[in-house]
Amino acid sequence: MITKIFTVSNKLGIHARPAGMIVDITGQARSDVSIVFDGSKANAKSILNVMMLAIPAGSEVKFEIDGEDEEIVVQQLEKLFDDHFNEEPC
Amino acid sequence: MTTSTKNPAEYVKKSSDGASRKSPRTVLVGVPSSPGFAMGTVFPIANREFSVVEETLPESRIPAEEQMFLKAVTKTAKEIAQIKEISESRAGVKDSLIFATHLMILQDPGLVNGVLDKIKKKRKNAKWAVHVVFGAYIEKFEKINSPAMRDKAADLRDLYNRLMSAMDDSGPVLEDVADEKGIVLVAHEFVPSFLMTLKPGQVNAIVMDTGGRTSHVAILARALQIPAVGGLRNVAALVKNGDTIIVDGSHGKVIINPNDDDVRKFRERQEIFERQRRELFTMRQLEPMTRDGKYIVLHANIELPTEADKVKDFGATGIGLYRSEFLFLKKDAPTQSEQESAYKHILETMAPYPVVIRTLDAGGDKLVSGISAVNESNPFMGWRSIRVCLDREDVFITQLRALLLANTQGNLRILLPMISSMSELRRAKACIEKARKQLEDEDHKPAVVKVGAMIEVPAAVMIVDKLAKEVDFFSLGTNDLIQFTLAVDRTNELITDMFQPHHPSVLSMIYQTVVAAHREGIPVAVCGEMSADPMSVLLLVGLGVDELSMTPWSVMTTKKIIRSINFEDVRDTALTVLQMDDAEAVNAFLYKKYAQTITELGISSFVGQVEK
Repeated sequence: MITKIFTVSNKLGIHARPAGMIVDITGQARSDVSIVFDGSKANAKSILNVMMLAIPAGSEVKFEIDGEDEEIVVQQLEKLFDDHFNEEPC
Repeated sequence: MTTSTKNPAEYVKKSSDGASRKSPRTVLVGVPSSPGFAMGTVFPIANREFSVVEETLPESRIPAEEQMFLKAVTKTAKEIAQIKEISESRAGVKDSLIFATHLMILQDPGLVNGVLDKIKKKRKNAKWAVHVVFGAYIEKFEKINSPAMRDKAADLRDLYNRLMSAMDDSGPVLEDVADEKGIVLVAHEFVPSFLMTLKPGQVNAIVMDTGGRTSHVAILARALQIPAVGGLRNVAALVKNGDTIIVDGSHGKVIINPNDDDVRKFRERQEIFERQRRELFTMRQLEPMTRDGKYIVLHANIELPTEADKVKDFGATGIGLYRSEFLFLKKDAPTQSEQESAYKHILETMAPYPVVIRTLDAGGDKLVSGISAVNESNPFMGWRSIRVCLDREDVFITQLRALLLANTQGNLRILLPMISSMSELRRAKACIEKARKQLEDEDHKPAVVKVGAMIEVPAAVMIVDKLAKEVDFFSLGTNDLIQFTLAVDRTNELITDMFQPHHPSVLSMIYQTVVAAHREGIPVAVCGEMSADPMSVLLLVGLGVDELSMTPWSVMTTKKIIRSINFEDVRDTALTVLQMDDAEAVNAFLYKKYAQTITELGISSFVGQVEK
């Protein structure tokens, strides 16, 4: 299992569109992916769960990825966060 | 057990039993959601109540219920995909992202499995299962302490209604409104997909109890240019079918059953608004010239190559800033030919108008993977922009080669960002020459290209007379210049009020740049947010700036401002405020002198109110 912490660096935080981009990655992964924020842990393959965390800009979120393609998933997520979800950074 | 749920989106016309007795005149103030004025007949859209009965099913019926739910999901997904397509063609891809989210929610494992579990394990009927599972999610979203996420509850209700009616097999949702014309829709809440199914010209305005300026309905209404007022709390309960209603989407006001005086005032305002809007559109034909004949070049800033296609429609005569780093954000580093075709698209679309392309401005707040350094303690003053390019000559030369090759029309201007010393400028120019030499050795004949420096570091202003001798133009990056001059991080919420574009030190920097440039006979452009603010436009023109570049939409309003002023007058104003000692004094002076004029231009619905 890989555990990785990312910082949310787009201005609007994880609203609907970034949540969709995360699920685009996790939904196709063979690994189990969880997202942990502010003490709550959720299935990162569910856009509703990810949106419900209402993660604001500047927060740190933890991902737990467990499975055969965990390395690839973590790389894809890393790129997504590094690119601020292709949005205006904060 | 039977549960009634009040839900929007199942748009049933309210019964007209109240129509004979009109509601009294009522004025309500809400949130201006989409500008414009309209009057029309109220078409209330009531929330249909679904009756959902809880049943526990015999084993034999379970597969059928399961199928019913899955079919409803497929049907709804098709419906949304269709609306998405209509919406993309009418409002653009960006404003249609909401429907992609809807599609994703429909595939959410928690949601779908939740419903299927209720059917299979608890042996419940499909409608009840959908009702309970959606109900729980909606409730959770409504409790979230973030307005943007709370808005998502409306999206879930939209999906709930679509699924329910799909299982009801009750045809398309919007038949009731299809034949109406000139109506004002009033509801407790609207869902985005509903708006997209309206025919153009069918609805005069939209009025709702809920929603703010940033809700999806508001964004879509603005894209469709339908006046809208949200946040009215109880308007849906107050109106009756057939009531007359006046909607002022610019100020967020509605009047139910107005009196003669209201109607007269409304007609006056509507006439003015419509005239101003028409005038704004005719602006694109007119020259951006002050009343005493000073010509100001108006350019557009773009971030995507495809935006170039629309720029001329807004009356811009060139691109003042194309930020090339957006190409780099997508992939690790675009190849030379990928870059060349992106640049070529812009340059050929705009020819013969000039196009300013800024070389890679990575770092600071714009990180590019594979190129940017990580974890700098002070990224805005760190390894960024031209500094990265000069260190990573391979990346820089590739970009320069692509730029020179794309310049088949000869209208390219290369802009070097973040220049802070002569040696940086000379090294960057040497790279351009190196790229040109390489291409010539490969039997290409790159056209001559103008090279400019971005003035955004105070150090550059201090040596601006020297820089002016070695470039073809200056472009003032006001956002960074203000940030560095005032030592105010514009992303720090604690000091946002200190980010003062009209601080005398900033104005003085701009003025010095203009003076040095004009001494050498080169033009100065401003491509930051300042060039779209009405008061700043007056100041910048007065200070002698030759070109303003802004988002395409702002070009028309800025042109209108420029055509209403005398250069001599704003020149005097600029020279007067240069003598002032703080931003408050400058702003107060500008307000006193020009607020009236700008208000009278009637562009407040487009540029916002004039602030004191």
